Amino acid sequence: MSLVSGPGRAQVAGGNLPNELQLAVEKHVKYIQSLDTRKDELEYWLTEHLRLNGVYWGLTALHLLGHPDALPRHETVEFVLSCQHDNGGFGPAPGHDPHMLYTVSAVQILVTVDALDELEKRGKTGREGVGRYIAQLQDRDDGSFAGDEWGETDTRFLFGALNALSLMRLLSYIDVTKAVAYVQACANFDGGYGVSPGAESHAGQIFVCVGALAIADRLDLVDKDRLGSWLSERQLNNGGLNGRPEKLEDVCYSWWVMSSLAMIGKLGWIDKDKLSKFILQCQDPELGGMADRPGDAVDVFHTVFGIAGLSLIGYPGLKPVDPIYCMPLEVVNRAVGR
Amino acid sequence: MSSHGVPRASGPKPTAQGREKELQRIQEYRSLVATVNREIHQRYYTKELLGMTTRLLELNPEYYTIWNYRRLLLRSFFEGAIPSTSNNKNDSTEHGTVQQYITDDLAFLLPLLRKFPKCYWIWNYRLWLLAEAARLLPSPVVYQLWQKELGLVGKMLTLDSRNFHGWGYRRQVVSALEELSVAMGSASASMTEHEFVYTTKMIESNLSNFSAWHRRSKLIPRLLSERNASHAERREFLEKELELVQRALWADPDSKDQSLWFYHQYLISNFKPSCSPQADAIIPDLPDADKLAYLQAQIEDLLEMLDGAETCKWIYQRLLELSLMSKSLNDQWPVASSDLEIWINKLLELDPLRKGRWEDLRKQIFPW
Ligand SMILES: [Zn+2]
Repeated sequence: MSLVSGPGRAQVAGGNLPNELQLAVEKHVKYIQSLDTRKDELEYWLTEHLRLNGVYWGLTALHLLGHPDALPRHETVEFVLSCQHDNGGFGPAPGHDPHMLYTVSAVQILVTVDALDELEKRGKTGREGVGRYIAQLQDRDDGSFAGDEWGETDTRFLFGALNALSLMRLLSYIDVTKAVAYVQACANFDGGYGVSPGAESHAGQIFVCVGALAIADRLDLVDKDRLGSWLSERQLNNGGLNGRPEKLEDVCYSWWVMSSLAMIGKLGWIDKDKLSKFILQCQDPELGGMADRPGDAVDVFHTVFGIAGLSLIGYPGLKPVDPIYCMPLEVVNRAVGR
Repeated sequence: MSSHGVPRASGPKPTAQGREKELQRIQEYRSLVATVNREIHQRYYTKELLGMTTRLLELNPEYYTIWNYRRLLLRSFFEGAIPSTSNNKNDSTEHGTVQQYITDDLAFLLPLLRKFPKCYWIWNYRLWLLAEAARLLPSPVVYQLWQKELGLVGKMLTLDSRNFHGWGYRRQVVSALEELSVAMGSASASMTEHEFVYTTKMIESNLSNFSAWHRRSKLIPRLLSERNASHAERREFLEKELELVQRALWADPDSKDQSLWFYHQYLISNFKPSCSPQADAIIPDLPDADKLAYLQAQIEDLLEMLDGAETCKWIYQRLLELSLMSKSLNDQWPVASSDLEIWINKLLELDPLRKGRWEDLRKQIFPW
């Protein structure tokens, strides 16, 4: 699965748009299926470090679109297993070093296609080995998580750890209380969260921090009115959402902002119709795929977050998405035993 | 992470010649990747291999595994220059070699950072290099390296004053310099005053720089505690900050600029029953009666500002927020309930995107 952008181009706002924009479901399915056939483009090889994320993005989009079998399951599982290292961690493609980000994608994919037992049978380690890889990246003093052995910390990795471990029901491997305290230390006066203590609030970091608190069942710590206010101010007049004050709108922020609003029960604080129109304007209605904003090159990353955003606001025909995990709701319910 | 802001020109189909060239570039790239991988796995740690990783990273700085390989290479070169049996942190020839490796690599990163300022891996690798310097070189040398970083990040933030990585990096540079000063026995290690002045400078050049306002909000509590500020001095400080932001708001009350309104929110957080996060408080022990007086003054100021700026939704929003804060302190509305009603209606009219929020607010204020 490649992350290559294009070839399509999202619609230009104000062009000859139909009155009622429709989600081009079949085109998006074809677009995602075509991503792995573009090995004659340099971009395919330059994005190899995102291959496993690409599979997660494409697979999740297909599930939400109601086409869960559009990618061959056996090959998907084989590819995921080929990315695993002896220490339990996963890289984005064979030959790439293990890292938290790809280990989380691997777990999400395996859970989505219900293949954890195949990891048990044929993986370099079973799920407990994966859990141990993740757990040893926690700093037992301050609760934070590193991305890999080189030690960079970021709340994205903390969320990833809670996400993957809870999907495998191995949360007891880590110190959840300390992880929660670390998230608390990243809180700001505006109700938002930053990448580390002292950092400015940012919609992407808010998603991971609120998501981590949701998994830890500590949403009581969030100042919901303040955070909801800040998040709702991300919507601009064109309907799109930005990630910080005075920044441009972007389809991927529809996901970070809206899923956070959903987790704190404030989804009604933005205009869903206008947002849905904005997202639909970002799709390429002929060749499939979505871009960050109208007129830009499409890619699978913005495709999944655009579709997940539409699912969250109840766009007809889409499968419901889980706001914490960005996976099909029924898959998450099965995995965590809700 | 993916394509952001990349316009896609729907140009003509690539020619046969163009396709040929693309295939050749793929061939070259893949062969370089294969060679680097092979030599790393054979632990064939040479200068030539370092040069190959340079070429690869210039083509593709997101290929983080190659950054990891580069760390392995440098570690082996360091080991060659300073054998682990040597415990002498002061041998100048040994350190000269290591220092040269590190400064060369820091220089190699500069054009990459300019070209890819949002690439996490380059910033991480740079921090790793500096951590290696701290591990292997004498403190004064390390201090100089970090000081250069302060200059570098200053320049980067002048070019893009909202760069997330830039502000994060600045915090790390400052805390490294402070730690080193302490280690070197300096009496005045803190750079809080210096950084506070920096945020003033950044704000003066652009009022809409929320990153600078945010940084300011995090520096103030530290600044006051380092100054051993008394209660009276803290009040004076807060009043000055309120004046600063109000002056800017008055200059353009109809402004759509959220930065000033959010900073104003930070300041008035001090008048809530309890400031959150507690660590952000400017006056930790402000009596309720004083909070109420401040809130009243803020409300009056905003009402005045409203005259001529009747279409600025932020004023109504803030008036309601201040009224709710006041109510939570003494269970009384500071204004007539008809005013509250008018303000909510104004918000519904001026800001229909957030209609659901204003309706929730109405229910909160008028629960019957
Ligand atoms: Zn985006």
